[in-house]
Amino acid sequence: MNFRIVRAIYAKEMLDMLRDRRALISMIVVPLVAMPGIFAVMHYFTENLSKKAQEESTRVGATAKISQPAIREALKNAGFELVPVSNPRTAVESKAVAAALDEDRGPANEDRVVIFVDRTREASSMAAEKITSALERLKLDQVKGSLRGLGVSERVLNPFSVTSSNVAPEKKMAGFILGSVLGYTVLLLMFTGGMYPAIDMTAGEKERHTLEPLLASPASREEIILGKILTTTTASFLTALLTIGSLLVSMQNLGLGQGGPEMENLVSRAAPDAGTVFLVLLTLLPTALFAASVMTAIALFARGFKEAQSMLTPVIMAVVIPAVVSLLPGLELNVGLALIPVFNVSQLIKEIILGEYSRLSFLTAFLSNVVYAGLAFWISVRIFKTESVLFRS
Amino acid sequence: MIQIQDLTKIFRDKKRGERAVVDHISFEVRDSEIFGLLGPNGAGKTTTLRMLATLLKPTSGRATVNGNDVTTAPAEVRRRIGFLSGDMGLYHRLTPREILRVFGRLNGLTEERLRARITEMVDMLHMEDFADTKVDQLSTGMRQRAALARTLLHDPPVLILDEPTSGLDVPTSRVIEEFILQAKRAGKCILYSTHVMEEAEFLCDRIAVINDGRIRIIGTMSELKAATGRERLREIFLDLLDNKVAGRVAP
Repeated sequence: MNFRIVRAIYAKEMLDMLRDRRALISMIVVPLVAMPGIFAVMHYFTENLSKKAQEESTRVGATAKISQPAIREALKNAGFELVPVSNPRTAVESKAVAAALDEDRGPANEDRVVIFVDRTREASSMAAEKITSALERLKLDQVKGSLRGLGVSERVLNPFSVTSSNVAPEKKMAGFILGSVLGYTVLLLMFTGGMYPAIDMTAGEKERHTLEPLLASPASREEIILGKILTTTTASFLTALLTIGSLLVSMQNLGLGQGGPEMENLVSRAAPDAGTVFLVLLTLLPTALFAASVMTAIALFARGFKEAQSMLTPVIMAVVIPAVVSLLPGLELNVGLALIPVFNVSQLIKEIILGEYSRLSFLTAFLSNVVYAGLAFWISVRIFKTESVLFRS
Repeated sequence: MIQIQDLTKIFRDKKRGERAVVDHISFEVRDSEIFGLLGPNGAGKTTTLRMLATLLKPTSGRATVNGNDVTTAPAEVRRRIGFLSGDMGLYHRLTPREILRVFGRLNGLTEERLRARITEMVDMLHMEDFADTKVDQLSTGMRQRAALARTLLHDPPVLILDEPTSGLDVPTSRVIEEFILQAKRAGKCILYSTHVMEEAEFLCDRIAVINDGRIRIIGTMSELKAATGRERLREIFLDLLDNKVAGRVAP
């Protein structure tokens, strides 16, 4: 292996790639524009939708059977607008009201208020929850009134109280969210960012007949493939870098969009320190190499650009699955799990950001990705030496 | 020089089974010689040249370039050849100068020698006006000159040219022909495939007509005429394709 030749090929491929508009879009524009875009849209919708749901949820129906004036009073005090309805079910189904109240007899022959709710609608669920709590308060007040009438202290209702205190520091809470989102997004975009360069340098070269002079030059097959894989690795890693940067910036400026202002505050305070970012990037380095080698090996099989694209799209979908699995809370990386490509990285990133990774699983994940990348490189070279694949048309 | 002995290439595919695309061909090309490989499409010309350029491995037989075997010393062979095919294989997003730089480095030229050679090539092939324009904005003629410059850049002793004038207009073809003749005068060994009769007749010292993977006839133009009784290469060629003549002149 002559590294001067590898460098010459790398330099050529980089120059070629940086002039390829398609590659630049998936590598640079997507992470820089799409990321803040997704956040802005998410933010806009959740904000607006919840505002809208809030407004809608105040309109509830009540049948004539709701006998106790106290109930109507309590609901009005809780901010509800009561609309008389004859059929509570259809009133909710037709969205005329967010929820509706009816009354019948319970198992102990007590008065029972029935809330009709459509759980698939946020406004309806919200209304039902608020009605329940308003009525629970009313019930409590009534019990307290009765107890007072009997001369019993209302303290019997509350012999002790229960509260929980979250020991996870705020940074950890935010890290959990950041880590989950980051690992998954970065991995996905690393694969899409490297996809066009990988295809262009393999199937694309076949299609444009530029491979022959290259193969007839003194460069060996290994040197050519290594130069190409390193270029795709650069593309993937660059995408990762831009994604992380843009994700951090959008998080701080736009919030997560979910979980309300409290969570937004948390996340905006969760900027990972330089050490954490460095560790994440270190984890992503062999991952970029792995992504590049796998995609190069696959794209080499294709006759042309389009075929390569349809071969690689399922691969990218397959990448998403293990990355999504690591979104599940409660999973912890052990040596066995650290051997699963893609999954190990998204999980490791989450743990690094939480500050809870173990050195052993870090090393296992790092080294296994290097080994997988080496394996994919070896396979690529084998494919590259197979005439029937290289010259088929 | 190029020496080929019983060179054979069998392609296997599911639909058509085994096919001998090149079937026990033998010939040699000396230094300072232009050897033409003449044949219709699918005759085996490109496969032969690809085996010589070490892109394909021979199924059997031997081929050497200046004594280096294409199977056992492919890297040595590649260092000694300049390979050019009809579709040129230029990178569209790069300029001719950038392409020359890449291939000079792949061929192990020092940076100093590379700069000198690029200047030489640009002068020789009159590429001053377009050496720094991206290939996708160049005309076919300009592209072919750039491709030729890439082929000659490292001054290889052996040139393997696969239909280098295909798709070119007459003036550009003329430029290419001039260069091939000049390379011959410089002592290079040139293997040249074409299906253009006049070009072969004008350029080649010796010609081999190949069809269905076999060499039908081989010799100088006058040997070919004597063996077939025909005056024009076109007639000799058409006769051979019809299998009316199965003559063979010793190389």
